[in-house]
Amino acid sequence: MHSNGFFLSDVAGFLGGYYTVLAVMNGVAALLMWRRQSRTVWAAVWAAYAGAMMILASLALSGSASMVPVLPLAIRNLVNDLSGPVLYTLGTTAFLVLLFVFRKFFVQPMVAWSIFNISLLLLGLSMADENFAAIVMKPDNVPIVGLVFLLAFFTWVATKQAVVNDERIRQGLPVMEKVNDEKVLVWPDLVYTELICMVGVAALLLVWAIFLPAPLEEPASSVKTPNPSKAPWYFLGLQEMLVYFDPWYAGVVLPSLVVFGLMAMPYLDFNKKGNGYYSIEERKFSYLVWQFGFFELWITLIILGTFLRGPNWNFFGPFEFWTPYKVEVLNNVDLPQMFWVQWLNQPLPRAPQGAGLLTQIGFILLREAPGLLVMGAYLVLLPPLMAITIFRGFFAKMGFIRYMIMSNLMLLMLTLPLKMVLRWTLNLKYIISIPEFSLNF
Amino acid sequence: MTDKKKMSVAEILAAARAGSKASAADEQAPVAPAEAAAAEDTPPAPKPAAAKPAAGGRPSVQDILAMARSGQAKPAAEAPAAKPKPAAKPAAAKPAAAKAAPVGQGAKKNVQRDTASILAAARAGAKPGPVSKAEAPAAARPAKPPAAKAAAKPARPVPPRPMRPQATVPAKKAVTEERRTFLSYALGSFMAVGFTALSVTGGLFSLGLARFLFPNVLAEPPSRFKVGSKEGFPSGKVETKFVAQYGVWVVNGEFEGVQQIYALKTVCTHLGCTPNWLEAEQKFKCPCHGSGFYKDGINFEGPAPRPLERYAIRIADDGQLEVDKSKAFQEELGQWNDPESYVTA
Repeated sequence: MHSNGFFLSDVAGFLGGYYTVLAVMNGVAALLMWRRQSRTVWAAVWAAYAGAMMILASLALSGSASMVPVLPLAIRNLVNDLSGPVLYTLGTTAFLVLLFVFRKFFVQPMVAWSIFNISLLLLGLSMADENFAAIVMKPDNVPIVGLVFLLAFFTWVATKQAVVNDERIRQGLPVMEKVNDEKVLVWPDLVYTELICMVGVAALLLVWAIFLPAPLEEPASSVKTPNPSKAPWYFLGLQEMLVYFDPWYAGVVLPSLVVFGLMAMPYLDFNKKGNGYYSIEERKFSYLVWQFGFFELWITLIILGTFLRGPNWNFFGPFEFWTPYKVEVLNNVDLPQMFWVQWLNQPLPRAPQGAGLLTQIGFILLREAPGLLVMGAYLVLLPPLMAITIFRGFFAKMGFIRYMIMSNLMLLMLTLPLKMVLRWTLNLKYIISIPEFSLNF
Repeated sequence: MTDKKKMSVAEILAAARAGSKASAADEQAPVAPAEAAAAEDTPPAPKPAAAKPAAGGRPSVQDILAMARSGQAKPAAEAPAAKPKPAAKPAAAKPAAAKAAPVGQGAKKNVQRDTASILAAARAGAKPGPVSKAEAPAAARPAKPPAAKAAAKPARPVPPRPMRPQATVPAKKAVTEERRTFLSYALGSFMAVGFTALSVTGGLFSLGLARFLFPNVLAEPPSRFKVGSKEGFPSGKVETKFVAQYGVWVVNGEFEGVQQIYALKTVCTHLGCTPNWLEAEQKFKCPCHGSGFYKDGINFEGPAPRPLERYAIRIADDGQLEVDKSKAFQEELGQWNDPESYVTA
């Protein structure tokens, strides 16, 4: 929105190199496909694409700011208007579900290569937008861009192997890990590889640190908080959780539960299949729960926190200018307020002045009764209910204790998305709100 | 792909263990039938696994395991086939055939063997190296019937393992009364001397550190400070100039219908960041998680669970407003009704 000639002439050099790299990359890919004689049509497609990239590169390097290829303003504005935490979360969820359901389609190399190229092209076209570039090219955020692509690649590799194995299992063939079970020696094969990687990564980091120096800010002060104030990237999911919960829950209980749950996993798992090889079909429940927790509740929140949360922790569209004066209506109320005041039309139960501690606690419990009942039902009634309905088989196989641990861990994990949905739909702040004793949920 | 017939380590080990009892019984391992067939024929049948020579002349883990297994289950004529040198074949085949009977007996006695011992035994023939614990007694007693793999390679005798050196027994303390042992006698032992010295040093060090808790000069702003007269705070004003030094907003605002001047603590009640006063939106907004507070400090958006806290404020003797940071007042505890927490405007 604030694109101007100065910025574009600055970024043009980078974009020229970027498109040239894309062209070379696709040219090499086309050459390799041509040599293998199996994908001559695809080779032609990618050769043509490489040519198009060369054209984009020459446009970017033409010296005229108006020639730099950029995403049309209308599309950028549309994306800005549409984006918000609700759509972002629903969109990423839908995207991940789509990837999972049609995984047989997406694991094909040509499909993956196409998606990879499209996303790189979109990244390049967006980079010519000043607001987008300001966030994405920030030295702190560059690794997150790399993280997105790396994570996509490794997930793709694993999913591909799982899909191949699932198909072989269906046909009654041994899995690929059994067929190609050639082993190498730790010394020298593995150690040498690690040594070479170590040297390579050190060299890369050195060059990186020279070209993208870490930003230094003013000295820290207890009365001055940078705006926006962001956690290290790996804690941004945690920071996003803190938007919806009291610190003791999102900052202490939930992270501890994550660690506890990860440790409990091998003891809760009763499925003996999938041991030592990739498979999705044979371990669907474990796979889905893991991917939900990892991708949906951690990675997408990191991306959200890095690129889309701006000053005052407001949500900003990818092409939006980060102004600290953005006004968002975020009013929210606690469940007791909602229950007593809005639904029953009476004031909150409040202990009379000068009442004893026990009387005060009694009134607090009465005030919080709806929230306590809701949470009690959620954590006490739901596990047995699930045991006789959807998790009937699980309960039979796991036994009482293991089942209870599993179901409670799952329910506590689901408090995060549920709380997010409640905040968006009902403007609900806390289900249980006892600020007198710093107990809020 | 499937006819490649490569065995995993687990399968080889299973075959090796089962082979000592009855190789035919081991039906689920794909190796067993081929192995039984090979055992009947005296000439060595080329095994798929064994036929592949190890690259670079060094036997790979698979080759070693294959050698160990074949040596145990049947005449060891097959073991040399795994070696890269074909010249060793005839030489090894003869003694192996001659010792076929003892090999069978030896194998039967050898009931269960773990991976480490199989690998160690096989490697012991190829090069001197460490031998696992399970293998040690067999190597130590030469009177025992030769083990299967020992018969397989008569040309290369296993070098005797060096005996483990005896643990050195500390020499008895010579009880001599000298000046340099005086401290040991005084405190009981030389360990007591060491620990006494350590604890004394540690104690003195801690005391030295504790000294830093009481600095000579305290560069802290005083908890009581004057912010000027009432006239400096017109109605509706949020004074932010004391934030940097004292962490306080002095506000002239309305709370429960009464115009008051109060001092708000600049600490967000969610996680302790410092919110910013946004004049245009007339609210305090926290940059960390987006909590928002009205001008009177009441929380209304974001995750902050309770209102901002107030500091004590009063009109000093000289008529100026004086804020006292040593006392804080929380709204949710009903403390804002305390007359110390505000000055009526």
